[in-house]
Amino acid sequence: MTTSEFLHTAWSWNPLLLAACAAALAGYWFAFRRTGRIGYFVAALGVVLLALVSPIHALADGYLFSAHMVQHILLLLVAPALALLSLPATFSPGKMPRVFVHPLAGWLAGVGAMWVWHAPALCNAAAVSGPVAALQSVSLLVLGAVFWWQVLAPRDDQRLAPFTAILYLFTACVACSALGIILTFSPVRVCSVFMHPVDRLGIMGTIRGGWGMTPERDQQIGGLLMWVPMCSIYAAAILSQFARWHATPALPEKTP
Amino acid sequence: MNDTTATASPPLLLTEHARAHHRVAWIATVDHKRIGILYMLTALFFFVVGGVEALFIRLQLAVPNNTLLAPDTYNQLFTMHGTTMIFLVAMPMLFGLANYFVPLQIGARDMAFPRLNAFAFWLVPLGGILLHFSVLAGGAPAVGWFAYAPLSETPYASQPGVNYWALALLVLGIGSVSASINLIVTVLTARAPHMTLRRLPLFSWMFFVNSFLVILALPVLNAGLAMLLIDRLLDTHFFLPAGGGSAILWQHIFWAFGHPEVYIVAIPAFAILSEIIPVFSRKPIFGYEFVAGSTVAIALLSLLVWAHHMFTVGLGHTVDLFFVASSLLIAIPTGVKVLAWSATMLGGRLRLETPMLFCVAALVQFLVAGLTGVTHAVAALDWQTKNSYYLVAHFHFVFVGLIVFAILGALHYWFPKMSGRMLSERIGKWTFWLMVIGFNMTFVIQHFLGFAGMPRRVYTYPDLPGWGWMNMVSTVGAFFMAAAALLLVWNLAHAFRRGPVAGDNPWKAWTLEWATTSPPPHENFDALPPIRSRRPLWDEANPDRPEPVVGGDDATSPVAEKSKAGVIAFIASEAGFFGVLILAFLFFNATPQAGPGPKQLDLFKTGMFSLCLFASSFTLWRSEVSLRNAKHRAMKGWLAATIVLGGIFVVGQGLEYWGLFASGVTVSTNLFATTFFTLTGFHGLHVCVGLIALLIVLGLALAGDFEKRKSSALGAVGLYWHFVDVVWVFVLTAVYIFPLLK
Amino acid sequence: MNLLATVFEPASPQAGAISHLFFVTLIICAAIFVIVAGLIAYSLMRFRAREGGGEPEQVAGNRKIEIFWTVIPFLIVVVLFAMTARTMSLSDQPPAAEPDLIVTGHQWWWQVNYPHTGAVTANEIHIPVGKPFCVELRSVDVLHEFWVPSLTRKMTTVPGHPNHIWLQADKAGTYLGVCSEFCGTQHAWMRFTVVAEDAEKFEAWQRAQLAPAVTPTGEAEHGLALFKEMTCASCHAIEGTGVNARVGPDLTHFASRAQFGGGVVENTPANIHRWLVNPQAVKPGVKMPNFKFTDEQLTALAAYLGSLK
Repeated sequence: MTTSEFLHTAWSWNPLLLAACAAALAGYWFAFRRTGRIGYFVAALGVVLLALVSPIHALADGYLFSAHMVQHILLLLVAPALALLSLPATFSPGKMPRVFVHPLAGWLAGVGAMWVWHAPALCNAAAVSGPVAALQSVSLLVLGAVFWWQVLAPRDDQRLAPFTAILYLFTACVACSALGIILTFSPVRVCSVFMHPVDRLGIMGTIRGGWGMTPERDQQIGGLLMWVPMCSIYAAAILSQFARWHATPALPEKTP
Repeated sequence: MNDTTATASPPLLLTEHARAHHRVAWIATVDHKRIGILYMLTALFFFVVGGVEALFIRLQLAVPNNTLLAPDTYNQLFTMHGTTMIFLVAMPMLFGLANYFVPLQIGARDMAFPRLNAFAFWLVPLGGILLHFSVLAGGAPAVGWFAYAPLSETPYASQPGVNYWALALLVLGIGSVSASINLIVTVLTARAPHMTLRRLPLFSWMFFVNSFLVILALPVLNAGLAMLLIDRLLDTHFFLPAGGGSAILWQHIFWAFGHPEVYIVAIPAFAILSEIIPVFSRKPIFGYEFVAGSTVAIALLSLLVWAHHMFTVGLGHTVDLFFVASSLLIAIPTGVKVLAWSATMLGGRLRLETPMLFCVAALVQFLVAGLTGVTHAVAALDWQTKNSYYLVAHFHFVFVGLIVFAILGALHYWFPKMSGRMLSERIGKWTFWLMVIGFNMTFVIQHFLGFAGMPRRVYTYPDLPGWGWMNMVSTVGAFFMAAAALLLVWNLAHAFRRGPVAGDNPWKAWTLEWATTSPPPHENFDALPPIRSRRPLWDEANPDRPEPVVGGDDATSPVAEKSKAGVIAFIASEAGFFGVLILAFLFFNATPQAGPGPKQLDLFKTGMFSLCLFASSFTLWRSEVSLRNAKHRAMKGWLAATIVLGGIFVVGQGLEYWGLFASGVTVSTNLFATTFFTLTGFHGLHVCVGLIALLIVLGLALAGDFEKRKSSALGAVGLYWHFVDVVWVFVLTAVYIFPLLK
Repeated sequence: MNLLATVFEPASPQAGAISHLFFVTLIICAAIFVIVAGLIAYSLMRFRAREGGGEPEQVAGNRKIEIFWTVIPFLIVVVLFAMTARTMSLSDQPPAAEPDLIVTGHQWWWQVNYPHTGAVTANEIHIPVGKPFCVELRSVDVLHEFWVPSLTRKMTTVPGHPNHIWLQADKAGTYLGVCSEFCGTQHAWMRFTVVAEDAEKFEAWQRAQLAPAVTPTGEAEHGLALFKEMTCASCHAIEGTGVNARVGPDLTHFASRAQFGGGVVENTPANIHRWLVNPQAVKPGVKMPNFKFTDEQLTALAAYLGSLK
């Protein structure tokens, strides 16, 4: 199969996923039609579809570790952030267990989702088993939301103070880059499944020959994606916190 | 506080007794202003040393096939020149400026930790002496300032020069980290009332951000240096491919420090430009938030781009491309800065006095440096220009064109504040023009030498067409710069004795250091003007049109307890150090080594001892709780239990070492043993230091210190102890548990 | 004198691609320089302080302009990135399965092996015009860096980590190469040449290199005996004489090279003599010690080395 044939055919129109997305959109429309920012929500759904329907999904499904990493970043860091941004400022999650809104829980959710799902056993399982992959996708979205809640919660008082948020994001960035660095330079393959993919689509020749994707290079790109672009996302978030800090209106002086 | 008193009693006219006191006082001082001046004088001294080295380098290169210097002499000279200029000139000079002016700008009485400040300073001369002692001990290092392995390893550099180099850099690194921790804590805790973080002058803001970069980057170098020294002294093979080590790992470690280091010395230069250009343009900086934010962006990105120093090592296009992208991104915040400074000048009333002249030249030269920097970020171009004179020209445009020019601007700007006297404007202008002409003569032409194919670090070169005269031009230019340096020293020395009295605010500047006498009294300020904006003295001078009020007493800025803030900053730097050691362990043990391996370790025993260590965190926490509840007996009991548990852990580690030694496993057996002993050894060392600190706290407690006054000692040491325990979680996982999973 | 010299006089498609990108990048950079430096120069001329002028209008910034000059550089950066990626793949293709040439860095000379034929030489690489050679770069000691500015990118030789580049020349000629990574005392004299010649000439050269060393006669015969007797043989190889140590350069066809000592001197009888008298005087620090040969030994050895065409 050539690259263009692949790009045309390798779309996974998973009815369950599409139904879920449609339901989410309908729910959002029903709840926040007037107060929310629907553009962000549509973008969030678009990102989810990009990760789970487009050929990225086909590649992540046992072929390429790097495609899996793109999926991982989109589901953990991009889609939940957009979804949180779409919520109206008046939104309140109701009675949430305190554990979900504790900063440490948020931090562990974000960093843990990176580290735990890349333990060799789990990484392999998610790459070959449909249910595990589905569990992974859902967990990434949820953990991502828990992570970003600390920074992007709709109400200012639900978020961390700017400096704390910067510390929160910076340490998360360091923790994830450490894994990225390990993946990039490790002489061993972390997800062994991707070394010998089961070629269901007949695309292996194109991937190895046409794109020049050896298993070594594949893991290297995966590691680099986790290291450089992901850190850039955190860095952008840090700068946005800096902007937020400077945008805080002047409080009245206590004494002249 | 006002001009009349300053004129009536010119500064530095002291009684005989005060003068005698003065001489000792300079050595024993903990006053931030004096320490600042000591830093600057040390930097100036080494600037002369490094400058003379540079002149010898240029003399040797003046003509082709020159035999003035022996090759090894030349190689020693450029190694010392690079090391000296970065670690003994740029860094001390910047810490000197920070020391003197950050506390003044934020209206503080002194740095947060005056004694730590003195300690950090005195490490600079110590490092300098260690580095230069190598000359007496068989020759200075001749391996380049980045000491690439394996050339820096014993088989290729058997003289002890490299050992002295590494030790000196370790000492200087510890000094830099101490100074930066001090600066961070000073800015966080010692600001005058109403001097909120959002009102910080850009100079102080940038030094504040920069200090974070120092505490994150320097420990990475320290870890690398420790590994290099272990290689050289204990016969191991971290960076020796012959023994299974990796020469490329050294480059990763060095540049993970080295690239941030470039910004560590450049951001202070940005800070100087951001201060001086507005004052001499008579306008506020254009876009404070963008300039301040771009500094944060540069600091963050600088941690993410080091591999662009390694485009020719063969990491592969994949790695190269990611770092092309991240390196190019740095151009954006840098461009924001350059444009902001340019726009500040636009529409101002420019006063082209010496400080401004130096800053304008620095701005234009930095523009060139930035643009040639872009060509280095583009890997394909770097493949041609790396390690050529084009690169030499590029980084001298950064280090001299920007940084030295900015420092010279700063010296001319702040000398009146430090000495109370004005420098000669006429000599200043001469210095400036000699410097500009000399600098551009020396380094513009080197871009073309690079295009012509001249590699750097060659002691001589063949007589190829054009090479001779281009090098000669470069050498002549260097002597113009030397003349400028002589004029500067003369100007400083002369003005110090006979310069006209400066008054409080000779430049009509707007930040708080100008609100006190020149030089400031020991306690800095009698009274502070009201602080409502970023330019309090503007508000005072122009009550009819004050600056818009910025922020307020802002609730979001953390006001931390001094000692805790210090320990947290220290922990951040230590985390970097251990991070490198853990990554090195994982890297070398990803595939099994021949010889001893993790199987030799006894997980059960170590697990037991580890439980003791983890339990000690619990007991220490109980001790802190007891202290909070004023239960002093319980507090001492828990503290003693902590020490006993920590002691058991150390003994356990000792037993494990003993067992390994008994079965013939030593640090040099193979890379598993090397990384194991290095990582656990450094951790053990930290546990021991923690134990000593806890014993001191226990001693204080037994002496009843905690009953008498509130002391934060336990809290600070406690944080450190918890950190050491957390590190062990990672070490235990990486060393003992991880191999089981495979 | 052409100031832009070698980097901008590419003689291969690889160096050509880089040179082209350099040209484009320099134009972009020059445009930026002119705009920003022009702005500064304009301010310097137009906005000088005058006597009694008072303070200017206090402009603290303009959010729109600030965003504008953040976005514009970003766009430039994106364009540069795309061009870089393209040039990288043009100038540095993936290596062939088997290298055509193996170049090994030593302190301070280059060993050159032609694996397909078995030819060995030092510091002087011959390639046929127009044919791309895949070069494997190795090092036996420290880092070195292989750089022929007019032909190809530079690449470090790393011990234990072989690297690859493509070497090609479109025009016949002699191209200068250097070691560009600092590698110790004599880093300066670790130069080499790439001689590109017509296919026939190259074949002839390679055949000559493959032949065993000439059988010496007269004075030179005495030289060979000395060569074996003194410790020369423990470092150097001369094919066909049973001398085959690989520590120093292969000398089988020593006299066919234009220079020796990593480019420190031309290969003339006088220079061979000077070198043998004391190599440390010609190239201080070189790994070959001063053997303190007698005059008679010097003459014989020099005659022998000079005969190794």
